[in-house]
Amino acid sequence: MEMTAVPPRGKVKATGSVRARKVTDNVATVVLWAMACSIIVMLAAFIVYMIYLGGSALSLSFLFGVPKETTAGGGIGPEIYNSFYILLMTLAFTVPIAVAAGVYLQEYARPGTFRNVVQFSAESLATVPSVVMGLFGLLVFVYLFKWKFTALGGALTLTLLNLPALMRVTQEALSSVPDTLREASMGLGGTKWQTITRVVLPSAIGRMTTGVVLIAGRIFGETAALIFTAGLSVPFNNPYDLNPMRPAETLAVHLWYTHSESIVPDVDRIGNGSALVLLLMVLLFNVSARVLGRQLTKRFTGRYS
Amino acid sequence: MIAVQARRSHRAERIAVFGLRVAAGFVILAMLALLGYLAFEGTKTFYVDKFPLWQFLFSPDFAIDSGKPGAAVFIAGTLAVTLCAILIGGPFGIAVGVFLAEIAPLRMTQILKPAIEVMVGIPSVVYGWLGLTLLVPIIRTHTSSPSGFGLAAAGIVLAIMILPTVITLSEDAFRSLPGALKEGSLALGATRWQTITRVLLPSASSGLAVALILGIARAIGETLAIQMVIGNSAQFANGLFAPTAALTTEIVTDMPGATEGSLLEHVLFSMAFLLLLIAMVLIVLVRFALRKRS
Repeated sequence: MEMTAVPPRGKVKATGSVRARKVTDNVATVVLWAMACSIIVMLAAFIVYMIYLGGSALSLSFLFGVPKETTAGGGIGPEIYNSFYILLMTLAFTVPIAVAAGVYLQEYARPGTFRNVVQFSAESLATVPSVVMGLFGLLVFVYLFKWKFTALGGALTLTLLNLPALMRVTQEALSSVPDTLREASMGLGGTKWQTITRVVLPSAIGRMTTGVVLIAGRIFGETAALIFTAGLSVPFNNPYDLNPMRPAETLAVHLWYTHSESIVPDVDRIGNGSALVLLLMVLLFNVSARVLGRQLTKRFTGRYS
Repeated sequence: MIAVQARRSHRAERIAVFGLRVAAGFVILAMLALLGYLAFEGTKTFYVDKFPLWQFLFSPDFAIDSGKPGAAVFIAGTLAVTLCAILIGGPFGIAVGVFLAEIAPLRMTQILKPAIEVMVGIPSVVYGWLGLTLLVPIIRTHTSSPSGFGLAAAGIVLAIMILPTVITLSEDAFRSLPGALKEGSLALGATRWQTITRVLLPSASSGLAVALILGIARAIGETLAIQMVIGNSAQFANGLFAPTAALTTEIVTDMPGATEGSLLEHVLFSMAFLLLLIAMVLIVLVRFALRKRS
């Protein structure tokens, strides 16, 4: 993107002595450093504080136990299960569509109306607040299809919510593949399709994986879109049900629900423990995104980057 | 033989590309369905329940039982928390963006960028929980606020949540400036700070506008983090520490109890439709800012 310089407006006057300017410059540098460091300190403080609060709550009976409705001592086992269950379903829907759409936009689509409209729709979809997407899911899956609250409805809602981000990840990964690779493949007689599937996608897979796993972390913690689609409960008889057509409260939803609606006496313990588990999962997703991305790039291209 | 194979693969390729096109078209379809369905459902307050639009937008009377669907309190709440968030998070985010683009040594970037990515990943409810257990008690003990819940708590939580968006996009804005701008300024004897404030900031203004607009979009749509700390009372905040409610928080608070087809449900859908329209206006603004830049 070309940027044009904006000429200084009005009179440019020299202010202060050289020394004063240098002092200002140094002060500004120190302030900016302090602001940047404060972000790291704040994040570290959050993590330490959550471990301090929730560390004592983490036990096997909490992590794998079943939640209780009215008495203390409930666990979060089914909620963790549901979070992964909905996450995997969402990825199974989102990844194929997003990668296909991303490949089309980046490799095939010529500039024109169709491409512009797709891009604009994706950008609009990306800014739709998660709670609004939740209400759309409520309208479609609960009211129109009469599914009631289901894991499938939740996963489909999250698919719409995360599609634009994943498309963007795909497009950015593809655009980072140098054109010389494409030219070499076509020059050897490969068709465009062969070039994309055998040369471009393998080179982009590392970056794409990093992006997908980071987005997976966000899906794992998603709440507002799930309250009205996947519901606020787990099946009483069979909490680890594989059936997608049943209510599936996730861990993040459970944290909110326990705090705001539930009547169990140990709300703080469950909240602290759930928040810590969510935070640790985010850290895990972030680390594995990096490691996986690096490994795959190395395996498919022999490059480190 | 080879010709047959080539023709066959050509046809297979055409089918595959058609599949890709369908996937891209799905995005348009999804957006249209969302917009159409929410428009249909969100205007029922006006054409089924026959309330005038101005009453929804400007009346502060929100009492569904006595037939008063005024949403002005929630609209004002959304504007107020967003303003708080952008007043704190905006300058802070741009400053850190400048730092990353112009000052940070490689090692610092390697720490700060993953930290920012973790901040993006932390779920909304966990920010809400942190606000609830850390920020609200601090506000309760250090101000006259009896509960600690309210505008200030929500604004601060939101400011932290929009930081990653503002930082990343403003860093991009500074990085996309031509190097000659900075070199010219430095060569004329300006200090780094003078270069940043008088040359780089004005030149990057449209990119920074995009960063702020998308930060605002994030703040307006954020729900659970602020629902847990804002106090959820349907009244105008008469001070920074007074409890109030926003459009998103009101939807989450009352939707679980709303029956299908009731006035309350219609009004909540109208609020969701309003949020969607605001988001779309912001996207058009972003496009406008980007077009101006190129």
